[in-house]
Order: sequence, then C-alpha cells, then structure tokens
Amino acid sequence: MARLTSKQRVLGLFRRDPIDTMPCFSGQGMVTLPAIHCLGIRFPQVHLTAENMAESAKKSMHMFEFDSVVVPFDMCTIPEAFGLPISLYANSEDILYPTIPGKWPSPEEVTIPGDYLKMGRMPVVDKALNLLREEVGEDKAIGSWILGPFTLAGQIVELDILMKMTIRGRAKVESLLDELTELIIDLGRHYRLEGADYMNLREMGTGSDLLSPRMFKMLILPRLQRIFDEWDFPKVLHICGFTDLIIEMMRDSGADAISVDHNNTLAETRKKIGDRMLLFGDYNGFTLPKKATKEEIKEYIQGCIDGGVDAVWPGCDIWPEVNEENLLTINRKIRELGRGPSPAVGRL
Amino acid sequence: MGKEKLREELLKELSDGVVNFDEDKVAEAAKRIVEEGLGAYDAIMNGMAAGMEIVGDLYDKHEYFVPELLLCADALYAGLDILRPHIKSEDLADRVKGQVVMGTVQGDVHDIGKNLIKMMFEVAGFTVHDLGRDVPLEKFVEEQVRTDSEIVALSAMMTTTMMGMKKVVEMIKAKNPDVMIMLGGAPVTKDVATLFGADGYAESAGNAVQEAIKMISRLRKLEKGQ
Repeated sequence: MARLTSKQRVLGLFRRDPIDTMPCFSGQGMVTLPAIHCLGIRFPQVHLTAENMAESAKKSMHMFEFDSVVVPFDMCTIPEAFGLPISLYANSEDILYPTIPGKWPSPEEVTIPGDYLKMGRMPVVDKALNLLREEVGEDKAIGSWILGPFTLAGQIVELDILMKMTIRGRAKVESLLDELTELIIDLGRHYRLEGADYMNLREMGTGSDLLSPRMFKMLILPRLQRIFDEWDFPKVLHICGFTDLIIEMMRDSGADAISVDHNNTLAETRKKIGDRMLLFGDYNGFTLPKKATKEEIKEYIQGCIDGGVDAVWPGCDIWPEVNEENLLTINRKIRELGRGPSPAVGRL
Repeated sequence: MGKEKLREELLKELSDGVVNFDEDKVAEAAKRIVEEGLGAYDAIMNGMAAGMEIVGDLYDKHEYFVPELLLCADALYAGLDILRPHIKSEDLADRVKGQVVMGTVQGDVHDIGKNLIKMMFEVAGFTVHDLGRDVPLEKFVEEQVRTDSEIVALSAMMTTTMMGMKKVVEMIKAKNPDVMIMLGGAPVTKDVATLFGADGYAESAGNAVQEAIKMISRLRKLEKGQ
C-alpha cells in the first residue's frame, strides 16, 4: 500500500482521487484535555492566544494520530469581533467554551464593523492558522470552520426571536442572512489565505428538528449555494441533528462533502445522494471517545463505513475530556477498517 | 346561547388560536371566559392545552417545527396570562402541586427548549423556579434545596456544554436521591442520560415539548376519569 502524507490523504479525498486509507480528521473542534494538560494550561486558555490555540491543536493531533488540525475551537470569535460582549470563563478550571450572554434583540439592530477582522480574537485565529501552516502545514491538513449564515445569525440575535421571525418578519431575517452570507464568503477566503486547506461550513441550526424543509429550501439553501459557489477550495457542509428530510438539498448545496451526525440514517442518505458525493460522519464526539468499549468502537466505525461514509469523522466537536485509549483506538480502527474503497473514493 | 355551548365555543377558539398561533384570538377568548364566569382552569386545560396536543401531533407529522412551536407558545401565554389569576383554589385542590427547578447550564445560553418546557409545566400547574441561562452549577442544587422541588430540569444545546449537567445530577442526587432529574438538549441521548444518572431526557426542544404534552394529556385524561 502506498503511503501518503496526512495532507495528501485528506486533500486527495476531497479531489476524490484514490488514497491509501480513510483519513482521520474533522471539521469541528478536536482539541483534547490530555494535550492541554501537557502544555500546562487550563481549558479556557486555549482560546486566548494564537500560541495556545495552535499548540493545543497540534498536540491533540500528534497525541491521537489525526491527519489534520482544526482551529478555532469556539463559536464566539465572530460575534466578539462584531462587538458583542462574551464570557470567556477565563478563571474556570472546568471545560467551559466561551458564550455570548447578551445578543441583539432583532436582526435589524445588528451592526457589523467594517474592520471586524482586526477586532477581538480574529487576529488570534489568523495567527494560529499561520503558525500551524509554518509548523505542520507541509505534512498535515489544516482545517477551519465558520458558522453558516443562519447559525451565525442565531449567535448574534436572540435565537427564539430569529426563529419566530422566519415566519413573521422574514424579510428582516433574509436581509441579515444576505449580509452574513457575503461576510462568510470573504472570511472563508481569508482563512484560506491564512493557512486553511479545507473549510467546514457549520450550519447546525437548520436541521429538521428546528426548521422545516420548506424553510430550509427557501431561506437556507440559496445562501449555502452562493457561499459554496464562491469558495474555490475544499469545502464541507455540516448540519447536525435530524437531516434525513433535507439531505438531497444538502447535496445540492455545492459543497464537496456533506457531514452529518448520529441522528442521520447513513445508508438511506447514501442512497439519496448517490455515490459521487462525499459523505462524512457520524460518530458521537462524546460517547465514543469517552466511554465506549473497544468492541463498541469497532462496531460503530464499521457501521459508519457500511453506511457509506467516505470519512468516519465526529458529528460534533470532540468533547475534550477524552479517554486517551479510546480516541487512539477510534483513529487506528478508522485507518484499519477504512482500507477498502468508499463509495466516492477509490484506493491506491 | 347556553352556558355549555358558549363554553365549548370558547374552548375551541382557544385551541384553534394556539394551533394557528393567533395571539389576539386566544386573548379575546380568554377575556370572554373570565367575563362569562366560566372556569379558567378548564379553559387552560381543555382549551389551550388541548390545542397544544394538536400542535404536538403536527410536530410529530413534520408539519410544525420549532418556529411554529414558539409562535404557538406565544399564543398560549397570551391566554395563560389572562386566565391564571382567575384559577380558583378548589380547581387546584386535587391537582398537581409539584415544583420544578429549571435552567440552562453554565456555558450555554440557548434556552428555547427550556422555555417551551417551562410553559408546559406552568400549564400543568407546577410552580416553576426558572433560573434562566448560563446558570452556575451550584445554583441548581441551592435552589432545589431551598424550594424542596421534586423535579430539576436541565438543558444544554451542545456537546460542548452538556458535561455541566453530569455534575449537577451528581450534586443533587448526593443531597436528595429522590429528586427527579430531566435533561434536555440536542447532544443528550439515552446513553448520555443513563451515564449522567438522570431520570428522563429529551433530545430536542420539540421532543421535550412532546414529552410535556404527553404528560399534560395524561393529566387531562385523569381529570376526565379516563
């Protein structure tokens, strides 16, 4: 079997070129507590400096034999750059991700500063990407992600108000989504220039446990199509939760790959999307790395492969407090069980 | 129009108003209930809660989703605010007198599911102690002890925030093993609920409402002697 570097393996997958085995990577956060502890810092500190962000991502990748690194880790960098106050829980000993305690009360009140890329921790993310590109970028794939327009809107406007306005006040929601769509297009290009090899658009607030498929078609899909049409680099659309009813629309979004979580019916999805579309998923980022037995891990990964994924990857952020043996077992089993071709990607 | 016919008509208006998220219609019908001296509790349970049962069915059939649920909830509250002060003490004498502490755990500011469940508990007659969102874990324990509530309901929307719920479950069960703990949120699966030692779970706002609607539906049937 030919050996590829991690980067060749991941980028080959996106091109649908034959590769040696299934890559172990993610489009969501995959920073781990064992790695953080090695660096002698607490969890909240990983978000605060480019060095901590890059080092903890890199250490997690090396410790658990991932093919990629992914930054940033939290969903507040953009809202913070827009000027919203955030809680960093900087003195906490616990695993607490930053949150936004107060959002704009309605879409029309949102104001986006023209120089937001220079604000908050946006430069931290840029520098972390730069550091990773310099230090591991030759051999390892560097991933990054941005929230999709609706999910990002839900981060900056009170979500219940936003949801209700999709029915009563749609024009205002659409106007905000259009603005965010253009911003996301530019930010994706920006992250690409700063070092990202692939981008994951996380539009997780739009699954059918939240929005109707009709709403998805009308409000969400056109914006996704616009973004993916403009991004000329490897791109994934991730939606978690109940996605069975919108999976064909996800396929038609223009992404190279679609990513789902354990709530999706993989085998049915593969039938619906055909064999050419890349499908990533769908292990639970908490239960499998934290508490599954080796046998359960093997069974679950085999189930994903049998369900037709081209990469077994987590359906959400990996919960940082992993069982080290479990996460290593997951990645080694993915490589071992993923030696055969997947529906969209052959093997060398 | 006879009193019973008027009652039926107004109950239907309340139900329809909730289903069609028509706040004005619900408020109008609720005011008529009060003006005509009809039972406020009856109107809540057999008008608006009955409407929420239909809403639950529509959610089940994938005809309604969370935005619709939220608008139905607004309509229900429009009636509840008017009717609640007129509930007679004898109406509640033989009914649920439970208390529930609820909130979104520290690190999470998403409270849609929590607010929907709160509404259903209120409809069912529970006293709700809502701690809000991003609640420090110790606060749940303090509030449960202070109020001696039978139920604690915790919500977290993301994997990255749900671990706080495990700590709360441990702390509360250590102090009072009889407290029933319910978990809600997208990352909460049966495995997670079991692992955390919870007594019940719902994995989405809609599912949580479904469970709460079933609870109220059972209550309504009990009251009808079915």
